[in-house]
Amino acid sequence: MRVDPSYVSNLVGSLDQSQAAEQQLTAELSSGVSINSLSENPVAAGENVLLLNQIQQDDSFTQSASLVTGQLQVADSTLGSVVSQLTQALSLATSANNGTMNASDVQAVSSQISGILDEVESLANTNYQGQYIFAGGQTATSPFTTNTGSSPAVTTYNGDQGVNYLSTPNGQKIQLNVPGSQIFQGSGTNSVFGALNALVADYSTGTVNTTQAVNDTEALNTALNFVSQKRVTIDNSITQVTAATDAITSDQTQLTAAQTNLMQADVAQVSTGLSLAETQQTALEDVISQLDSSSNSLFSKLQ
Amino acid sequence: MGTINSAFSIISGALDADQAALSIVANNVANANTPGYAQETPNWQENQPVTIGGVQYGDGVSETGATSLRDRVLEQRLDQQQQLASSSGARLTALNSVQALFPPDSGTGTSAAGDIGSDITSFFSSFASLEADPTNNSLREEVLSSATTLAGDISNAAASLNQQSSALDQEATGVTAQVNSLTTSIAQLNHQIQTTSPDADAGTLEDQRQQDLSQLSQLIGINQITTENNGLSVTTTSGQTLVSEGTSFQMNSGMVNGVTHFFVGNNDITSQLAAGGGELGGYLTVRDQDIPSAMNALDQIAYNISTQVNTQNSAGTDLSGITGTATNPLNIFAQPATVAGSAVAMSVVMTDPNQIAAAAAGAGTGDNSNATIMANLANQTIVGGQTPTDFYSNFVSTLGATVSGVQNENTAQNASVTQLQTQNDALSSVNLNDEASAMSTLQSSYQAASQVFGLLNTIMESALNLGQETTVT
Repeated sequence: MRVDPSYVSNLVGSLDQSQAAEQQLTAELSSGVSINSLSENPVAAGENVLLLNQIQQDDSFTQSASLVTGQLQVADSTLGSVVSQLTQALSLATSANNGTMNASDVQAVSSQISGILDEVESLANTNYQGQYIFAGGQTATSPFTTNTGSSPAVTTYNGDQGVNYLSTPNGQKIQLNVPGSQIFQGSGTNSVFGALNALVADYSTGTVNTTQAVNDTEALNTALNFVSQKRVTIDNSITQVTAATDAITSDQTQLTAAQTNLMQADVAQVSTGLSLAETQQTALEDVISQLDSSSNSLFSKLQ
Repeated sequence: MGTINSAFSIISGALDADQAALSIVANNVANANTPGYAQETPNWQENQPVTIGGVQYGDGVSETGATSLRDRVLEQRLDQQQQLASSSGARLTALNSVQALFPPDSGTGTSAAGDIGSDITSFFSSFASLEADPTNNSLREEVLSSATTLAGDISNAAASLNQQSSALDQEATGVTAQVNSLTTSIAQLNHQIQTTSPDADAGTLEDQRQQDLSQLSQLIGINQITTENNGLSVTTTSGQTLVSEGTSFQMNSGMVNGVTHFFVGNNDITSQLAAGGGELGGYLTVRDQDIPSAMNALDQIAYNISTQVNTQNSAGTDLSGITGTATNPLNIFAQPATVAGSAVAMSVVMTDPNQIAAAAAGAGTGDNSNATIMANLANQTIVGGQTPTDFYSNFVSTLGATVSGVQNENTAQNASVTQLQTQNDALSSVNLNDEASAMSTLQSSYQAASQVFGLLNTIMESALNLGQETTVT
């Protein structure tokens, strides 16, 4: 049987291949990444894009969540202050209504309630990082202004009914704000400013129209309850953001583990492969050098 | 009846034949490393016997030249396989450059530069961040900067694809000259072979013709058709004649719609060559199929993201309370006119972050509902019936699968080429052991013939002197 006399050059081809394998494995070890080009594992490369997309979205939500939590907490504590101011106004009004006060005391109550009114108005005009938080979408303008030209004075809402939501990566929507009109200017008897302005007017002369004052006090009480209810909305949002952040963080941990699993080089496997390739290469080199050193044709035997 | 004279004639013929055979062996050894050389063996032929008085006497041996050891079927199969392997090899090299533009992101540390997948996510996430605080200037700047990164990476990738395409175009054009010089040479060799050796193997000429054919097989896909008088016709795999016996037909290249096309006469054979094989087939497949398909994917991403984001941003209200109109749209990206070309041209035209319309039309500037809609575009099927990320993910998977498929194909074809090459070498290449043994055999037979000649000389001497030791020696 005739053989291919150039088999040594074929062996060199095998040597090239084993060197290429070593190069690839070394690259995996040094980069720590098992997939350095798309063709090495097309399916994993595609899956990797999707996983990284989710991880990045989760990451971005976690940052947004800490931002909105600050804003929601400011709104919550502001409404807390409003409630305590209103409670104080309520007790002032109740004591003025019981008929034991003289005219100057009643007038003093009027000016105290007027002070509370100013305070509540300033709370309703609270801004967070330059944005008015109870203005709906009109966050650039101060939402409440009071016109003292008439008696009782009239407080107007300049904001709108805009409500912002934060979407979580799962599609859940979390309410971020409550428009000021819904908190402080509920329809009819729910109006905080209406009730406060009315009480200021009721006590301003020192003579109390008890029926009117009791009605207005009652209205303030209703408005106070309404503010507390709206505060619950804000509290709920804070709870939702916290819960969503926790869920997203744990999701992100799992996704990161999956992504690492997909892309990171398995050091044990790569090392084994490298060692195999090295053994093969050494063997090939030995074979080639032996074939080279032995006289490889009969000519060396001819005299 | 044989005579001493006839013995002389027989043995001197044998010495001649041995010398001729030795020169063939020497030629084999001399050409042991010549590419395309097929090993030659001496042809020994018994001379016609002489019949004298009804009795036959052998009349020695002649050496009637050399025969090249070759198997044309095997050589043709090797050429065909070489065409496939060269094609997939050239395609693989070009595709490796294409896939290098889309490196997989390891996800460790900072995202890889030029990773369009993470750019898409960052861009839409920047709108999601804006939801939390729609008037925040740094979040607005973040939208524009992530848009700039996305547009830059897509247009860079597209520009690189265009460069690779024109580089392949030049490589392909360069192949034409080599093909023409080979076909010219084959035609000339055909003419010589048909003239000098119409009915037998043409030895060295045949070696050269075969060498030209195997070089041509590296370059393009061909069919070989043997014609009468040992001639040969060469056509492209789809049947366009390149060599017809002694005549060759030149291949020309010319620009058609900005890319090089290839012609023989007036026939445009570009698409035939692309499917045919050889390096040219590989180059043309990448230039005309693989790169356009990658480019189309980038165009789709660029066109749809630009258009959808521009439309949605124009539908909202920016921080100055302005809503976009048909004549004055609030475009973030340069608005592409057509899908084709939008990847290269993708860029950010908005310079003022306040023009990002986070608020819905008519709503206060603190509203975030338009930002929510834009962030949610990431989950809408806006690119080729898929979400932008799904589309990109599919694109990289498909590209990776194509490269990996070509890689496997190339490995298999190369293995097959090696196998056929081994078979062919076993038959045709010079084996020095064989030559050494032939040399040794011929040496012995030449020595034997010389000895016989010497003995015959002594016998003749005795015959001339009739047994007397006298003057004639």
